[in-house]
Amino acid sequence: MTTIIMIVISIALLALSIAKSRQKSKEAVLIAKKMFLGTILEVAGVMAIVGLVLALLPPELIQKILGGSHVMMSTVYGALIGTVTIMPAFIAFPLTKSLFVSGAHLVSLAAFLTTLTMVGFATFPIESKHFGMKFTLVRNGVSFIMALVIAFFMGVIL
Amino acid sequence: MKQLKKFKIIILAVLLYAVFFILKRDIFFHAVNITGGFLKEMIQVLPPVMILSALITVWVPSSTIQRGLGKQSGFMGRILSVFIGSVSAGPIYAAFPAALVLFKKGASISNMVIILSSWAVIKVPMLMVEIKFLGLQFSLVRFLLTIPAVILIGLITEKLVHRSEIHESGEEGLTNLPNLNCGGCGYSSCDDFKQAILNEGVDINGCVVLKKG
Repeated sequence: MTTIIMIVISIALLALSIAKSRQKSKEAVLIAKKMFLGTILEVAGVMAIVGLVLALLPPELIQKILGGSHVMMSTVYGALIGTVTIMPAFIAFPLTKSLFVSGAHLVSLAAFLTTLTMVGFATFPIESKHFGMKFTLVRNGVSFIMALVIAFFMGVIL
Repeated sequence: MKQLKKFKIIILAVLLYAVFFILKRDIFFHAVNITGGFLKEMIQVLPPVMILSALITVWVPSSTIQRGLGKQSGFMGRILSVFIGSVSAGPIYAAFPAALVLFKKGASISNMVIILSSWAVIKVPMLMVEIKFLGLQFSLVRFLLTIPAVILIGLITEKLVHRSEIHESGEEGLTNLPNLNCGGCGYSSCDDFKQAILNEGVDINGCVVLKKG
């Protein structure tokens, strides 16, 4: 849904841009094309590898790791698994639900969900290509810790 | 060699898939299925994000970005960053080029990180799905905790990383080439353009991104 809105907005703005200045619009399209070609190969490669990892890593295995009785350890594991995997939301939420039903702790699930989207081991090469190594390390490191903090507070509140 | 580096990941992926195709065909097809879903999302999301970023590059002057998202933008800058990130569609890798454009135009590091993070986690449609599966209380608490966390991540990252460490360092004075490799200057990459400036005395104002500033 948001994707469709974004496509419509970008087409509308591009049309407006063309109406205002053909020259500038040509420049913009050229820039967009270059940016697209510059990232698409890498992103596609990363997605292919993540797809393979997900195919190798069955939900049952994740369930076993996150369902451990030791809350703190399974929270750290949850955060780690979330870090190394990328999952579309329509897979992640049902999976989390089934994990919860089968006894995984809320705190570790919160850590898992938060790192899943915010910290990216798989997207690391793409991110560091854009922003450099140090920035990427710091942003992902800080995000990882904050994901644990969020999980901790959820444990306190819920 | 440079060409090879560009294809490194895709070559690795193809090799891995070949191995699994030979050894474990069921895993191969499962993986192709999952990857197909990813690629579909990518094809839908990347082009509009790139076009919006390019339009910002061409039309929006740096002074506007600086006012809205720069160091002095204060509380409203934070709110604006969370807003930009959360209304945009797509996974975090789509956010990288967009955030980089804003950064080059004067957005602060903290606001750039806030945009990246909220792009990844603060999504209202995603919250709806989460509520459906995990319940109102869990989802809402996680959502409300994430917003201040994202702002904090931005502030901490800004403390630890200096602006000059973000673009790949280049020759003195040429370090502010945007590294977007947009090709607007007529060269295929910023590196090529840099070489042309150094060796052939080409004017740096040929850079369409800098010029818009």
